[in-house]
Amino acid sequence: MNISTIVFLLLSLMAVGSALMMIISKNPVHSVLWLILVFFAISGHYILLNAQFLAVVNIIVYAGAIMVLFLFVVMLMNLNADTEPIKNYRMQLVGICTGGTLLLLLVLITNRMDVEQLVETNAGNAGLIKNLGMVLFKQYVLPFEISSVLFLSAMIGAVVIGRKEEPIDQNPNS
Amino acid sequence: MNAIIISAIWGVLLMFSGAFLKNKSIPKYLALFGAVLALSSTCLEMKTGHSFFSFPVFDMIKTDAFNLLFIDVIFFIMVIYFLLNADEISKVGQHVAEYYALIFFILSGIAIAATFNTLLMLFIGIEIISIPLYILTGSDKRNLKSNEAALKYFLMGAFSTGIMLMGIALVYGGNPNASFYIDKIDMGHGQMPVFIAMGLVFMLVSMSFKVSAAPFHFWTPDVYDGAPTVFTSFMSTVVKAAGFFAFLRLFENAFGSMHNQWQTMVAWITFATLMIGNITAVFQQSVKRMLAYSSIAQAGFMMLAVFALNVKAKEGILLYTAAYSLATIGIFGVLSKMQDYTIDGFNGLGKTKPLMALAATIFLLSLTGIPLTAGFQSKFFLLISAVENGNHIWLVIAAVLFAAISAYYYFRIIQAMYFKSPESEEQIVYPVSIGHTFMLLVIATLILVIGIYPELVIGWMYR
Repeated sequence: MNISTIVFLLLSLMAVGSALMMIISKNPVHSVLWLILVFFAISGHYILLNAQFLAVVNIIVYAGAIMVLFLFVVMLMNLNADTEPIKNYRMQLVGICTGGTLLLLLVLITNRMDVEQLVETNAGNAGLIKNLGMVLFKQYVLPFEISSVLFLSAMIGAVVIGRKEEPIDQNPNS
Repeated sequence: MNAIIISAIWGVLLMFSGAFLKNKSIPKYLALFGAVLALSSTCLEMKTGHSFFSFPVFDMIKTDAFNLLFIDVIFFIMVIYFLLNADEISKVGQHVAEYYALIFFILSGIAIAATFNTLLMLFIGIEIISIPLYILTGSDKRNLKSNEAALKYFLMGAFSTGIMLMGIALVYGGNPNASFYIDKIDMGHGQMPVFIAMGLVFMLVSMSFKVSAAPFHFWTPDVYDGAPTVFTSFMSTVVKAAGFFAFLRLFENAFGSMHNQWQTMVAWITFATLMIGNITAVFQQSVKRMLAYSSIAQAGFMMLAVFALNVKAKEGILLYTAAYSLATIGIFGVLSKMQDYTIDGFNGLGKTKPLMALAATIFLLSLTGIPLTAGFQSKFFLLISAVENGNHIWLVIAAVLFAAISAYYYFRIIQAMYFKSPESEEQIVYPVSIGHTFMLLVIATLILVIGIYPELVIGWMYR
């Protein structure tokens, strides 16, 4: 049992534990914070798999942007016991069916797993930032640069749509 | 390549001109200059075969005489569009420079969609076309209809983009060559692989949405009606033509070898588009809404090019782009000066503004497809292409019948202009500058010239 296996096990424990806590905790804000911890643990896994870029992007996009969005929604919605939707019997049944199917699949997959090699880390170099950069700036340089036009136009759009229109005195119909 | 990069740079330039220059009229001259620059540099690229910008693109885009000519036609129309509509654009709102910047980004996307050689570039091109359009649709912020149209367009457009991505993923996944290049898709021998067939259907659906072909046309009337009139005239002409060009390019180069297998599907889409567009347009009272439905009907005609997929279809789509865009930009140019957008609003225009009415008459005749106008030639070429293809002759007959129906609603405006008197003595049009009338007449002349001598447009392909 070398050091990366130990790190893997620690990260896995952290991921599974936080995921459970996310579901169990009553307070939605706590749930969101636990979910952030899950993302960090998964990013650790990515690093173990030699996918540095994915790890960084996972933190920036999920932990940074999407979770903050979640937090905003949770806080703005002002969730409490009064506004909680009535739990439907049929919905619970559907939930059990779908969740059960997923569990069944997972159990089947773990049954066929090769137990000898439980953990494989530090393998492959496709996810290294250097290799990614080489592909991105050589073969895919045109789409990469052109997509900046797309983002620029989205930003201009945000300004055009979002900025307050100064009142003008002429007839708006003209 | 020139057109893509020049219009992208020009968009950035216009964006900064809005931030740093206080003079509100500079953007319109800059935009006009940019369109002329892109037009001339594309002409040069066509002549010499080299772009100003040479860096390895790994065949992600491919240029030939056909698609460079298409880009030329687009930018020529844009020059005319800017000359005609500069004042109208500055009346839409306060972010004039930004509107121009967005238009140039769209033009960059159009140039990508016309030259793409991989599914990746197709997707980026279509997205660069779509996203600024959502914004332009909602640019009239004080108008509730414009807001509604923008939201509707955005939601439905996002869905169709998702469907297109799904299609690309399926085509990529089902392709043993594992390549995004459209000429490297393995279409099988005699029998299409099932994943590729699924991807084809998904992409057919989303491209049909982008060009507003039935039954994916439901966004069109609301969006075209809600958007500011200048931008409606932009997106129902140039953008739609670019959508068709991308459609044709994709289905010819990627799926062309299995033409027989998907032709029937396209035939039914074409028929439905022609039927729904023409029949619904008959019942419209608002001219703007009628033109929205007429643009669906015209899309049905352009679908014939995707249906036939031969040399005549390529020539036809070029002519159709020129003819339909010129006529529609012209009629929207007339419409934007009207006080009242209903058909009754046109009553007596022939007496009060004889030159404007004359130009409008020529535009409407061209949209109907009366001989001597460009509209006739373009319809003729597309019908010929469908006949040459030989399958589904009933579609050609249906197309001709629906073209006859379209005469009814186009001629109603002509009738209103010349044979009805206005209900009140009030002015029925906003003040029209001499330059505006002059531009309308120039467009009308161009339509007649192309109608008499179509080689003027398509001849460049073989030079």
